[in-house]
Amino acid sequence: MSTMNRRNFLKFTTAAAAATPFLAGKSAFAADEKHIVVIGGGVGGATFAKYMRLYAPEVKVTVIERKKEYQRPYGSSEIIVGNVDMNDITISYDALQKKHGVNFVFDTVTGVDFDKREVSTENGTKITYDRLVVAPGISFDYSGIAGMDTEAAQQAIVHGWDAGDQLLTLQKQLEAVPVDGTVVVVPPPNPYRCPPGPYERAGLITQWLINRGDKNAKVIILDPKNGFTTDVTMLQAWNRLYGFNLPKAFEKNYKPEQVATFTKHETPGKIQWVMAEEGGRVVKVDVAAKTVEAEAGVFKADMINIIPPLKAGKIALDLGLADKSGWCPVDQKTFESTLHPLVHVIGDACIAGEMPKSGYSANSQAKVVALQIKALLAGQPTIEPVLQNTCYALAGQSDYGMFVADVFRLKDGKLKRADQPRYLPFNASTAQYRLSAVYLHAWMDSFTQDIFS
Amino acid sequence: MNKTITGALAVALGFVVMVPAAIANPEQTANGAQSPAAVMAAQTCGGCHGTMGQVKDNAFMPLAGMPTSQFVLAMKSFANGSRPSTLMGPLAASFSDAEIQAMAEYFAAIPKFQHEANK
Repeated sequence: MSTMNRRNFLKFTTAAAAATPFLAGKSAFAADEKHIVVIGGGVGGATFAKYMRLYAPEVKVTVIERKKEYQRPYGSSEIIVGNVDMNDITISYDALQKKHGVNFVFDTVTGVDFDKREVSTENGTKITYDRLVVAPGISFDYSGIAGMDTEAAQQAIVHGWDAGDQLLTLQKQLEAVPVDGTVVVVPPPNPYRCPPGPYERAGLITQWLINRGDKNAKVIILDPKNGFTTDVTMLQAWNRLYGFNLPKAFEKNYKPEQVATFTKHETPGKIQWVMAEEGGRVVKVDVAAKTVEAEAGVFKADMINIIPPLKAGKIALDLGLADKSGWCPVDQKTFESTLHPLVHVIGDACIAGEMPKSGYSANSQAKVVALQIKALLAGQPTIEPVLQNTCYALAGQSDYGMFVADVFRLKDGKLKRADQPRYLPFNASTAQYRLSAVYLHAWMDSFTQDIFS
Repeated sequence: MNKTITGALAVALGFVVMVPAAIANPEQTANGAQSPAAVMAAQTCGGCHGTMGQVKDNAFMPLAGMPTSQFVLAMKSFANGSRPSTLMGPLAASFSDAEIQAMAEYFAAIPKFQHEANK
C-alpha cells in the first residue's frame, strides 16, 4: 500500500469511520493541521488522546491499538476472587471517538521510520506524524526463572498481570485449590507495574479461601524484595485480619512502640511473606510437581501465581526506544525519548524518576505530555511539570483499604516525590481505612471516566 | 461574570461554529482561558475528581464550579490537619499556596456537571 500523507489519510479514516461525527463534519484537513499519532490505547495512550483533544481541539489525534475494547488492569485481581466479572473491567473506545473526535486505527504497529516520521502497520497502512506518543505498557521476562522458560510452563503458571483471559485461568485455578490448600504468589523485582498489586492479590486470595470456609489454607508470598509499596500499612492489616506475624527482619521499618502493637500469633498465619532477606527469592519452578524452589527451601503448592520480571512493552523494545535496563529513557520534563526525537514515551514503559509504574502515573504523565506538545506545536516554552500518583489497594477484605499517594516535581532533571507522608498513618482510624476502601471502589469508576468518557 | 468565564464562553462559541454540536461538550468550553500553570496543577486532580473536576455520580467531591474560597479553605485545612482525611492531607501539603490558588481559580471557572435529571 502506498504511503499516506495527511490529506489522504483523512480520506482513509473518514471512509473507515463514517460514524465519527468529528471527521464527517470537517470539510477539509487544513494543510497546517498537526497530527499526533499514539501507539497503544491503554491508560496512558487513551488519556493522552482525550486530553490532547481537550487542550488543543485543533490538533488531530490518531490512536493505533490492536484490540477493539480495553480491559483495565487496575483492580483486575478482583476478577480472580469473583468480586467483579470481565464485563466490569471491559471498556469501550466509543466516547473517545464520538465525543472527543479521536481517530482509532485497530491494527498492529510493525515499524516506525523516525526520519520520515511514519508509522507502518500490519495491514499495510502508513501514517505520518508531527509527534509520536508511545504508550506500550509492559512485557514479561521469564529468562531468570529456571523451569519457566517454555511456552507450556507459561500457560500452566500464568501471571495475570495484563488483564485478559489469564485472570479467568487464575480464577479457575483458585476454585480448584483443595480445602486447606496452599497458594504461592511470587511478586516481581523492582521496577514493575502496580507496586502494591501482588500483595493485594495475595490478600484477596487469602480472604477468598477464608470465605469458602477453609480453616488451614495458606497463602505464601515468595518475594525477591525486602519491602514493597504500602508494606507498613498492609502488614499491619494482615496482622489484624489473617494471623500474620511480622518477619523479624522487617521490624526495623517500624518504631519499637509500633512493633509492640503487633499481635504475636501462636499458630502461623493464613498469609506468610517470605522477604528476600529470609530467602524469598525464587530460583526454580517445577511446573509438573507444582513446587517452587526459593533460597529458603522448596514450597509445594496447589496453585502458583508468578509475576515475572517486567520490561517495557515489546513494541518499545522493537523500535529501539529502551536502553539496556529494558525501560525507555526520556527527558522527564516532556517525556520525549532521549533516543529518538519527536517521540514521547509514557506510562509503565518510561523511566520517570521516582514515579511508580501505575495507572495513575500514566494518566498524569499523559496530561503533562498533552500540555507540553500543545506548547511545542505552538512554538511556546514547555511548562514546569507537576505530576501525581495515587494507588489504592485492599488488604484482602473489601472494606479494608489503603493507598500510596505522592506529588512529583522535576529536580535536577529527575522527577522526585514531595517529602510528605505517603501512606495511611500507623494505627489509622477504622474510618480512615474503611473510607480508603470506599474511595478505592469509587476510583475504579472515576478514573475510568477520566480516561475513556 | 468575570473575565475568565467570558473568555471561556468566547472559546466555546467559536468552537461550536467550527464543529457539529455533538462534539461541543462542556468539558471543552473552559480550557482556552486558563493559564498553562493552572491547567498543569489542576490536571493532577482529574484521576479521582473527574476530567476538569466534573466527576459524575461518585464518592469524590466534584471540583468544577466550586467557589475559589471553598477550594482554598478545604486544601489548607487538609494540609494543616485540621480537616481529617485519608490521603488529601499529605497531597494538599505537597502544593504551594500559589498552586492552590491557581487550581481554585481553574475549577471555579469550569461549569458544574449537570445531572440529566436536573437539567
